[in-house]
Amino acid sequence: MAAQLNLSGPPDSGLSSLTDQSMSSRTSNRSLRVAEKERRKNEAEDPSVLALQYFYNVEAGTPVNGNDEVERNLVLVEQVAYRNGLSPEAISIMLEFAMSLRMGHSLCPRVLKCLIPVTVVPQEAVVRGVSWLGVGKIPVSTQVLFIKWVLTVFDMIDAKDQLRAIYGFIFSFVSEENLCPFICHLLYLLTSKQIVRVFRVRKLLELQSKLGRQPFLLNLLSLYKVFCPELVTLSIPSRSKSVFKNHNMPWKSALFAVQKRNGSQVASSISLASASKDGTNRRKRKHHHLEIPVLSAVVNKQPQTETSRRLVPLVQIQSVAELLENMDHIELPAQMGSLLGSSLALQYLDCVQDESALLRLNFWIGYALHEELLFCGDGASQNSEESLQFLNKLLSTQHFLQEGFSSSDAFLYKFLNVWDGSLLRPQILGLLSNIPVIPSSQIGRLLFEPLMQLFFTSSVFFKCGLIECLSNMLLKWLIWHSVYALEDDLDISLNSHTSINMTLSGFKDSVMGLVDFVGRLASIGLQLEGCHSLLLSFILDFYTMVCDTFLKYGLPLVVMPPPGVFYPALFATDPVSVDRLAFIMYRYKVNLTSAKSQEKLTEQAFHISRQTFREFNNYTVYMVNCLWNSKMFQPGMGVQLREELLLKSNVPQYWTSFDLVHHPAFMSYAIDFHQKCWPGKKDIDLDSIKHSKPWSWYLEYLFSQGYDGLALFVQSNIRAGQGNGQQGDSLST
Amino acid sequence: MSDARSEKKRDKLPGLNTANILLVESEEQFQKSLADALVEETAVTVYVRLAKSLPLPKENEESRPRIDLVVFIINLTSELSFQSAEASLKYLDPGYLLGKVCFMVTNARNVSVPTKRLDAVRKLAAALHCPLLFAEDQTSDGVTNATKRLLSILKVSAGLVPMATALYLSSLTSCTVPPRHRPAKLRLAPVFSGGVSLNF
Repeated sequence: MAAQLNLSGPPDSGLSSLTDQSMSSRTSNRSLRVAEKERRKNEAEDPSVLALQYFYNVEAGTPVNGNDEVERNLVLVEQVAYRNGLSPEAISIMLEFAMSLRMGHSLCPRVLKCLIPVTVVPQEAVVRGVSWLGVGKIPVSTQVLFIKWVLTVFDMIDAKDQLRAIYGFIFSFVSEENLCPFICHLLYLLTSKQIVRVFRVRKLLELQSKLGRQPFLLNLLSLYKVFCPELVTLSIPSRSKSVFKNHNMPWKSALFAVQKRNGSQVASSISLASASKDGTNRRKRKHHHLEIPVLSAVVNKQPQTETSRRLVPLVQIQSVAELLENMDHIELPAQMGSLLGSSLALQYLDCVQDESALLRLNFWIGYALHEELLFCGDGASQNSEESLQFLNKLLSTQHFLQEGFSSSDAFLYKFLNVWDGSLLRPQILGLLSNIPVIPSSQIGRLLFEPLMQLFFTSSVFFKCGLIECLSNMLLKWLIWHSVYALEDDLDISLNSHTSINMTLSGFKDSVMGLVDFVGRLASIGLQLEGCHSLLLSFILDFYTMVCDTFLKYGLPLVVMPPPGVFYPALFATDPVSVDRLAFIMYRYKVNLTSAKSQEKLTEQAFHISRQTFREFNNYTVYMVNCLWNSKMFQPGMGVQLREELLLKSNVPQYWTSFDLVHHPAFMSYAIDFHQKCWPGKKDIDLDSIKHSKPWSWYLEYLFSQGYDGLALFVQSNIRAGQGNGQQGDSLST
Repeated sequence: MSDARSEKKRDKLPGLNTANILLVESEEQFQKSLADALVEETAVTVYVRLAKSLPLPKENEESRPRIDLVVFIINLTSELSFQSAEASLKYLDPGYLLGKVCFMVTNARNVSVPTKRLDAVRKLAAALHCPLLFAEDQTSDGVTNATKRLLSILKVSAGLVPMATALYLSSLTSCTVPPRHRPAKLRLAPVFSGGVSLNF
């Protein structure tokens, strides 16, 4: 590998690139004065090329002390480095000079400190530098300095394939106590799925038992765990606050200065990379953390390897066709967060077989969410705009991929426990509705307990929002079921990328749990909010989905609404709610009848409990009695009051209070109808509508107002042509 | 609790369409902005009383109205704040614990909060069957929301919501102690390898 380093190349190629640059700029700048300035600059740079030549050719063993030539040349190189940065070739030469210890180790740190790249760092130089570490003559402090330098310029290294190839070699330095934190960081940046092996995990664990639970070891292990959860059984504390904060980066300010002066393209990506990777400047990192990095190539120029498998950086891919062509050799960006911003990258993520890309993205998302929303610094309020953007991006990504990220789910379970119910509410509820099916044994602890506390102490709008969110959650679960349910063994694999497998009965338990929970929230919520009609509307949305689980989503399950939802809807003052309830009851009937007929046809069809039929019959009979037959208080019905109490209320003909004519929701229609039917009549007698003829006209009139649910309910439950006074039929159990 | 008479509620009658809330916070930071927002409520006359700690001074005891809800505000970044709330609780008439006390916690998402302190607050609230509300005191939206939530509890505990009592609401909202952090040796259940077990 070291042999590939192009040592025979012209040592002044550093100059050639510089002159190229100045040539091009000269053509654009016609001004004489500028040209003059350029020329003077070029002259000034000439000696630096000579200086580089000196360091390239200098013999091993040349003394340092009293050697003015070295001093002069080094100062020249330093000047160029701090002003403009060093070209890739110059970096190779100087790094090689320093690491080979040709002039002893006293100059080494000084040389390393001035290695400020102008564009990229050649990978070969870094690999060669690493190989010199193995020789063992370099003092430890210099070794540390070298690794720190590699970490600083990591995103500027032009390719990473050879560095990954010597992962094992780099790993061997882990046991050196002083190097370990920095080596761990470097390994962290280089790790990919194939690299995680049992012996490496074992080595790290062994080190951990020696050194204690060091954050750098834990971070590397946690990354290993992301790639291969089966190899790392150790539990990683959730509060590992800072990742690799051990670098004081002597180059950073110089690097920024040089790049600012050059205004180069690399600058933006580097500033982000270094800002998010080292923890020295916590405040700075705060502001950059949730920014989604720009999709940038790790490889700025093509790696000069002879292998046929050329890696194509994702950023260079412009169309789906190109993506398909290069599917098998795509180089992922160094910052996985950048994938969120590109729809092509998401396409790739969606169809690639290798899991590591998704795992890396998942890891990044989880880390970012935890750091920004769970363990924030003092200025928590400042970055709310950033959090908002980030969560919106995450939501649209989840929407695009049509699945959630397990790390965002894990984050939500924790976040719900400290949420105030208003911070980023639409986004949090959106993420919440994307949560995949939770086993019924866990669902209460993870979701229901925190949500219940929030629900009952928050405003009616939060209540509506939560009910809507849970409706969406149920909808997604039901769709997953109908898509992934295998016909043979009724096993559902819910998510192509995770190993959650569930039996049908397990899935049914979870759905039941969710529906029951919403039923509980809905009943008590309606009671506390005085049957708020907006809340009722969201609740009826939910039951419009629940009543159709069997026919629409193929889930053999029928759950009736609790009385706390049924009766408020039936006695609601707005006709829309009553109409929707009638539609829901109609759909229940269709579902139950079809389930029953299937039960008769095939033996193994699912069994609906008698209780469900009884509930359904009770509700239907009550509804028909109430709306149609004007018999509100029948013995054995859901609502019962003693006769004497009803008489005491002094309501005339109390039994008719909620029939289709007197129901508060429909009374205005009845009066309107009465006026149209008998325009001459001064005193309105609503009871006259109940005679056979006007009754059927009245129904027609009502249905013509758009109350289709009511029409369907009447058609399916009341025998045609018999007019007033008919008992609704009911399903037999 | 022989000297715990300072906060009795039985011997005073509620006023018509009014609600009294007592905010107890040792640091006296958040209670001011909360109080300003609380008195804005128009549907009910809300009287806000502020205290640094309990017991309340004896001198105004007679003129002090009946308190419908006692809110202990705890800043999680400060151990003192928690200790002060804990100490104040001793001076509270036990009758208040039937739904007329709630805890409001700020700074829960701060990195400098030790997990143990949050757990201790949770345990305290759970042991007393009181709701535990989290609030964002740094932003105006957070304060508004916290106010709304307090009002919704206050209205119930002051008897202004038909069909609901303080005890009933507190049975629905009382804090539960969340699951313990998993012990280090425990192997995570395979069902959740892609799910909740990923805690970094």
